[in-house]
Amino acid sequence: MNFSLFCSALVVPCRFSNTLATKLVERHRKSKLASHTREEAETKDTTVLTAPRDYKFVYPEFLPDPTWWKRDRIREKLEREDMMRRRSVIEIPEFYVGTVMAVESSDKYAPGKKNRFVGICIQRGGHGLRAGFTLRNVIDGQGVEVQYDLYNPTIIRLEVLKLEKRLDDELLYLRDAPQEYSTVPFDMEPVVLPPGIAVPINTMKVKLGPRPWHERWERQELKGVEDLGLPERFYKRAAEVAKPWQKHDLMRDYRLAINEDETEEIMTDVYGKMQGIETQQKLRRRQGPGPAK
Amino acid sequence: MALLCRATVLQTQTHLCTNAIVPLRNFSVSSPLQQIIKLSRLQVVDNSAIGRAAAISGRPAKCIHVYNKKGVGTLGDKILVAIKGQKKKAYIVGVKQKQKPFVPRFDSNNIVLVEESGMPTGTRIRVPIPSMLRGKEGDFTKILSIATKFI
Amino acid sequence: MAAPMKSVACLIRGTCFLQNAILHDTRFMPRACTHLQITRGRRRTCRPPSWFVRTRTKSHHLNQQELTAENKGFLTEYVEDFYTKKFEETSPLKDGPWERHEWHSHTFRTGVLAVKIGVIPQWDNQGRKFHTTLLQVLDNHVIRYVPPPVFEQSPAFKSHWRNRNGPKYGSVVVGALSCDPQLFTKEYNNLFTEAGVPPKRKLTRFIVTPNAAVQPGTPLFATHFKVGDYVDVQAKTIGHGFQGVVKRWGFKGGPASHGTTKWHRRPGSMGGGREKSGVWKGKKMPGHMGMDWRTLRGLKIWRINTKYNVLYVHGPCIPGPNHCYVRIMDTTLFYRKQAMEDQPPYMPTFFPEDTGDSDLPEEIVDEKLFSFKEPSIRYEEEASTTKKAKR
Repeated sequence: MNFSLFCSALVVPCRFSNTLATKLVERHRKSKLASHTREEAETKDTTVLTAPRDYKFVYPEFLPDPTWWKRDRIREKLEREDMMRRRSVIEIPEFYVGTVMAVESSDKYAPGKKNRFVGICIQRGGHGLRAGFTLRNVIDGQGVEVQYDLYNPTIIRLEVLKLEKRLDDELLYLRDAPQEYSTVPFDMEPVVLPPGIAVPINTMKVKLGPRPWHERWERQELKGVEDLGLPERFYKRAAEVAKPWQKHDLMRDYRLAINEDETEEIMTDVYGKMQGIETQQKLRRRQGPGPAK
Repeated sequence: MALLCRATVLQTQTHLCTNAIVPLRNFSVSSPLQQIIKLSRLQVVDNSAIGRAAAISGRPAKCIHVYNKKGVGTLGDKILVAIKGQKKKAYIVGVKQKQKPFVPRFDSNNIVLVEESGMPTGTRIRVPIPSMLRGKEGDFTKILSIATKFI
Repeated sequence: MAAPMKSVACLIRGTCFLQNAILHDTRFMPRACTHLQITRGRRRTCRPPSWFVRTRTKSHHLNQQELTAENKGFLTEYVEDFYTKKFEETSPLKDGPWERHEWHSHTFRTGVLAVKIGVIPQWDNQGRKFHTTLLQVLDNHVIRYVPPPVFEQSPAFKSHWRNRNGPKYGSVVVGALSCDPQLFTKEYNNLFTEAGVPPKRKLTRFIVTPNAAVQPGTPLFATHFKVGDYVDVQAKTIGHGFQGVVKRWGFKGGPASHGTTKWHRRPGSMGGGREKSGVWKGKKMPGHMGMDWRTLRGLKIWRINTKYNVLYVHGPCIPGPNHCYVRIMDTTLFYRKQAMEDQPPYMPTFFPEDTGDSDLPEEIVDEKLFSFKEPSIRYEEEASTTKKAKR
């Protein structure tokens, strides 16, 4: 117990004056004076496998929400345990924005109590158990989008039909593009990648339809879109409202992301557990379709 | 005069895109919220002759009343539409507005016309229908029976 | 020369008060404790109440600077030894707990003082999503039990807590988060001698009936409650300072443009009318917003983590920001309390001996909650037809 730390002025503004600073809660959790609820000091296992550098892009939802006042170590840990439990029951594969996926979920109202939807992942987000993604497809000339919770227990099966990345983080502009860009057949055969290969990046450029659009795409730095062909005044205005300094703003980056040390800590923990889960899943796949599939 | 101009613009541009109705207006109605309120234009998705005629003429069905207390229509709500100079009842079977997880969101606001007796005007629905309509209150059985696909 | 002398004096003072803490006669202790005082409305004065005991020492920082590293280490060791080893001998618990009584629907048990640690979604076994708030019960101990006749003398006692037989309720003071005694004044440290625990960062008081009296020094766990119980939760809301009516009460304000001058966020007219003229009491006006006690009643406990002492309580809107103190107690809602008779709670609190030889499982989950170990939810054909039939 460090007295100088204990008495250090952990001043919180009046707005939160009934609350404890995060550091102080942490200190109390590990304090030797705390008798029965003290956490055991975790012994660091030196033989733990370190996660690959890009592991945080493979399973981004394991990183907690970086908003400082929402963070808590124990809550994040409990949340991660729940996610791991769910992952050991069903297979949640690696996927990215641009990947073609199929989701089979139980639906009270669907014929056969099951529902299957196939589409391109156009958005992915959320942290922890709130993580989710959106699929888009065109059925009978009608664009349809469905949003899914990744850890919802009604999902029976998640299947990746074509694993690939796109040039942008979100493909919401497909709403304003011709329908052929987001059409995927429901009976699509899964495309198997050769093992050990990096995830391919689809460099296709989309030609958007005429205005009006859902958003002002010319103001966003989109890489996967062909020249928009707008009059000069649009680009002029876009240049006026652009914030080119943000990419140099280190504090902004710091606030909007989990720092590297913590990321590594979390990802090492995740990697260790995922290894076990993956071997289990392989065994299950060899045995054939089980009840939990 | 201005009104006339706008009508012609609307007409010509809707002819260009036949698949979906793109609201081409020079003024904002409720497009940021994408709500179905009075004066919203809607797409008729059954195979009734009146619905098709309205789409071809470039003057799609217009909502003139929403039968709920909020005045904003969502999936499964009953509305009154003005179409080809007639007043018709209709059910909303697909919306553009953001939906909860597992509920589909469509690229256009879709309706199915019904008669006063509750019978659908058409005999078939051309686009997929959200299966969660079964759980909604209201008499959808006849509409669901003429649907071809569920999501 | 003066500096080392001072540090020695400081060292002596440091150990001395610890001995005082034991030797000090409880008769001379101040009646009061600095618990959370819940009053109707808001206290409008900045003067401390009559029973206030100053908690923090003013000179602690200075003393720490003057101490050498060795002396600091010695004090640390001494404090740890004092509260871990020696107190096992002097703890009041060694005589065994007080007599335990049966629970009935008029019983008020003690509550616990938790810390809010976040909100996460959970699903029930029908696949419906809802949010739960995680509350961690950190290092809680009963500090003092005040029987009804003594509690009646307290300024905090309400007159309607009496019936013809006398006062109905006593009180239990619960403390959370053990601290280093050097932070606090002697008076404050003395409050904890009876319980035999280190001084606590936060104290709070719960009203209890005499049959739910708890012995001082008893630890309180998250398992004080059972899964499926309903609880009331009290906490202080986030402070917003002095606010106008638009933010405080959600008034509409005025138009932003169209020739409006100086009329954008104003409350409008008030006090007009003939018989009803004058500004009525309770009129929504500008003023201090937030930082006020709020109670949420009848929240279900969905899940308990016994390893970290975490309660998963229903709902995303428990007052206060993350890491605020939250008082949790059994619900006072009539029908909920009646329903508790089927599953009576631990009286007066949970003791680890209650489970017998077997340890509690790490996760206790409500039967209606989806446990993530289970396979995916599938709906049966029959279930839906019966549901349709009901309709």
